[in-house]
Amino acid sequence: MTMQQTHTAAVDDPIFEVRDVSVSFDMDRGESRVLDRVDMDIERGEILGVVGESGSGKSMFASALLDAVVDPGVLTGDITFDPEDGRRIDLLDRDETDIKDIRWRQIAMVFQGAMSSFNPTMTIEAHFRETLSVHDYDVEAGMERARQLLSDLYLEADQVLGSHPHELSGGMSQRALIALALVLEPEVLVMDEPTAALDLLMQRSIIELIREIADERDLTIVFITHDLPLVANLADRLAVLYAFEFVEVGPSDEVLTGAKHPYTRALLNATPNLDTPREEMRPIEGSAPDPVNVPEGCSYHPRCPLADDTCIREDPPLTDDGDDHAAACHYVDRVAEEVPLTLQEVTVDE
Amino acid sequence: MAEQNSSFSQSDGSAGGQGASRADLYREWIDMALLTPIRVAWDDWRTQVGSIIIAFYLLMGTVGVALVEPPTQGQGPRLTPAFQDWSVPLGTNDIGTSILSATVHATPPMLQMIAAGAVFSTAIATVIGTVSGYKGGLTDRVLTTFTDIAMTIPGLPLIILLAALFDPSNPALIGILITINAWAGLARSIRSQVLSLRDHSYVEASRIMGAPTRRILVDDVLPNIMPYVLINFVNSARNVIFGSVALYYLGLLGGTHENWGIMLDGAYNGGAIYSLQVIHWLFVPMIAIIGISFGFVLFAQGTEKLFNPRIRARHAETVEDDTAPYQE
Amino acid sequence: MSDETVVSLENVEVHFESAGSILPFGGDSEVVQAVDGVSLDIPENDVVALVGESGCGKTTLGKTAIGTQRPTGGAVKYKGQDVWKANDGEGDVEIPFEEIRQSLQIIHQDPGASLNPNKTVQHSLEAPLKLRHGEMDTFERRERIHEMLSRVGMEPPEDYAKRFPHQLSGGEQQRVALIRALLMNPDLILADEAVSALDVSLRIDMMDLMLDLQDTFDTSFLFISHNLSNASYIAGKADGRIGIMYLGELVEIGPIDEVLNDPQHPYTKALMWATPNLNPKADDGGSSPLRKIDVPDPRNPPTGCKFHTRCPEAREACTGEMPDATDLGNGHEVACYRADDGHDYWSSPELADEGDELTGTADESTAD
Repeated sequence: MTMQQTHTAAVDDPIFEVRDVSVSFDMDRGESRVLDRVDMDIERGEILGVVGESGSGKSMFASALLDAVVDPGVLTGDITFDPEDGRRIDLLDRDETDIKDIRWRQIAMVFQGAMSSFNPTMTIEAHFRETLSVHDYDVEAGMERARQLLSDLYLEADQVLGSHPHELSGGMSQRALIALALVLEPEVLVMDEPTAALDLLMQRSIIELIREIADERDLTIVFITHDLPLVANLADRLAVLYAFEFVEVGPSDEVLTGAKHPYTRALLNATPNLDTPREEMRPIEGSAPDPVNVPEGCSYHPRCPLADDTCIREDPPLTDDGDDHAAACHYVDRVAEEVPLTLQEVTVDE
Repeated sequence: MAEQNSSFSQSDGSAGGQGASRADLYREWIDMALLTPIRVAWDDWRTQVGSIIIAFYLLMGTVGVALVEPPTQGQGPRLTPAFQDWSVPLGTNDIGTSILSATVHATPPMLQMIAAGAVFSTAIATVIGTVSGYKGGLTDRVLTTFTDIAMTIPGLPLIILLAALFDPSNPALIGILITINAWAGLARSIRSQVLSLRDHSYVEASRIMGAPTRRILVDDVLPNIMPYVLINFVNSARNVIFGSVALYYLGLLGGTHENWGIMLDGAYNGGAIYSLQVIHWLFVPMIAIIGISFGFVLFAQGTEKLFNPRIRARHAETVEDDTAPYQE
Repeated sequence: MSDETVVSLENVEVHFESAGSILPFGGDSEVVQAVDGVSLDIPENDVVALVGESGCGKTTLGKTAIGTQRPTGGAVKYKGQDVWKANDGEGDVEIPFEEIRQSLQIIHQDPGASLNPNKTVQHSLEAPLKLRHGEMDTFERRERIHEMLSRVGMEPPEDYAKRFPHQLSGGEQQRVALIRALLMNPDLILADEAVSALDVSLRIDMMDLMLDLQDTFDTSFLFISHNLSNASYIAGKADGRIGIMYLGELVEIGPIDEVLNDPQHPYTKALMWATPNLNPKADDGGSSPLRKIDVPDPRNPPTGCKFHTRCPEAREACTGEMPDATDLGNGHEVACYRADDGHDYWSSPELADEGDELTGTADESTAD
């Protein structure tokens, strides 16, 4: 099992400290661990891109950060939240912490599929008013803020407020949801595939908007997606999930140009994009493991060209070499030769 | 049996193809089409109990009528209570007819009625609903109008009228009469389900392959509406049961044969509800009616699972265990 | 790439009418011009990618190309035979509709929905064989199916053949859907967002498989995607063409690398700006080049060039008439006045922006 060490890419001022967090479900087929003893620090004010394919545990990570894991899932471990006002809060301690107080006010979330996050029978304005009053905010001041937010997001405030969710297009409702998430001025925004259902141009525009908003308001953003290129330029740091564990964490440009984990490198080589020469792209052999049936030792070993006996026996911990770029692999030094990055050739030539 | 030679080039690494003999195919077919459904259905206690009850009634209606003498007057002393005189184990009515005889001999016509009525109404509803939902256009409009008319004509008065006009004595005809417009509601429901199924990707794929419409309806559409059809079959059966009992009770259908409804009518008029001594006259047919109805309901609830491929896969021997991959 | 054309679309129009109000007063019926005058030739054994955002009509055009959607204007021809005339039995029918129907197949976007959940893989794959090769008996069909399953990497095939769809992963389901389409021996397969629902690491594999089998079966692919990277991969490897659609019009088409390296239409350039890349050092192009974020309501499209409301280069000349396609040589065509040096466009004043920048139009369509 993973040994505890201080690692996870030395973060100076963590707003979140996630320690040994697991989420498991008891299924007929066996115990299914969809998040496996993960450790992660999230820096205040950063944009952290959490990348994972389907079945990697990424949505579960989002739920865990908000202590919103659905029954019958069991969430264990420690999550410490350190907001601006200085009180360190143990998020998972139900007795001490009023999670409802924290949710939305300090940590807000934007999930995929804005349409289903709204109540179809209420207007957008009603959503805002309800949110403000439930959290005991000054409703009128809040509505002013809401109008400002909507217009920052390039929406016609009056028109949107007066509409019902189904009257808005996908792009508009997703932006309205982002505005709703920001109206209580939270410190953290957790976004799980917020642009998945949107078109290319809208997607890109929203990413730009998120970047602006994050800068203006000093937000910490956790952006979860399966689409690595999407978050590559937005995020300060990237964290890669595979088989319910983090396999790599580091500054984005370092991860993109010099990934240390064989999975990350393989993923970069297999992701369709316009820059990589087509002949050089390589699919990843094999498939991701079922949570009931995660391989012994390093969970990536069945698909890894570097795998040997050590990999089958021991699960490598997530460690860095003193820099802030960590990977969970026994053979980090050999990765560069064994799994050449196709993209590197392009950038080096520039 | 000798294997056929493939007329296509074999790709390397293909371990299959050899060794699939006719016997293997046959065994597989039996497993998938017969044994597995039986296994799945039997797995549920409701099917077990339901089929036992139905089997009991079937026995009663076949073997029973041979073993028990037909009901006539004076088989025993009048108004004998149940469980006293073992020549008339369930007692007698006011003219001395053995209630056991009457109950047993009422079963075959009842079964015929149920079969005819339920099959008729379910079959019509399924055909009309499916064709109208799938075809659309003019066919749909015509069939839907027809369905709507059938649906809005008030059921009971229509049945009473037809019963009075035709005075049917054939139980099958009576069964059909009772469900004469009950099929309309089911047809409408099936039509809506088919409307949405019609645009599912795999149905569209079959259309694009140029499969003939009847093949698409049987292979792609029907299996997905079967759970619904099954429940409605059972409801029709119950409609027939209660409907026929009501008609006989009300005296709208003449009695050339025994019927539990007639027995109930007789018991009621004979004052059986006032006296505990005579209560058996009322209870026995009541229990008979409730019993068969309950049996049908249980059976349907249990067999509904048949149409779930996940459960079929788990029970099939020739298929691996349910290996559904993790969906996030 | 041969010169034989499998399917040609000639000035195809597909207009949908949404039923107007039943009452005599209140709106007239609204017409959505899903496809508005598109001409496209799809050659034998080739790949044509169609890219655009939702509402641009690419799916409708795709379905028209495989004879599932009847055009309201223009013609669809299969090897010279008008498809709908064959269906109606009009005129001299050289190729009967049944044959046309079998030669044009589809792979859907959602692998989970594209297979009948009540049928085993074996059963699902027997259907095309029975239709196309009626002379085969049960054993021959089985062997063929096992052969194909092996070919796409599903080993051992006997095992996979007996599974139900829910026992397969998304990638496996999609491969079965591919086999099903190929067993019809089609001349054209419409791959409607066929890899969009798959995991990123599986996409290249699937696209390589499609190209690999393309040669064996002598099939063309019409590959529809909203994702430029996917389209670029498959069209590029097959040396095919890419077409860009916007609100029912084909605004640019040409050999894939030419269009990507030298995009002519402002919309194509916008799509390239919007497509994320993996290179952190690349100049990411800053903020949106478009004047408006939201797509216009397809029920009420802009006059003239439909892109003029959002185009950064729009001028008054663009509001008049829709530009015709300009041939730039080498199969590269673009529908933009900027391609014509002598056009009035160059002397026409720039468009003043109406009201607020980047605001959505009043009547937003809910479709996305």
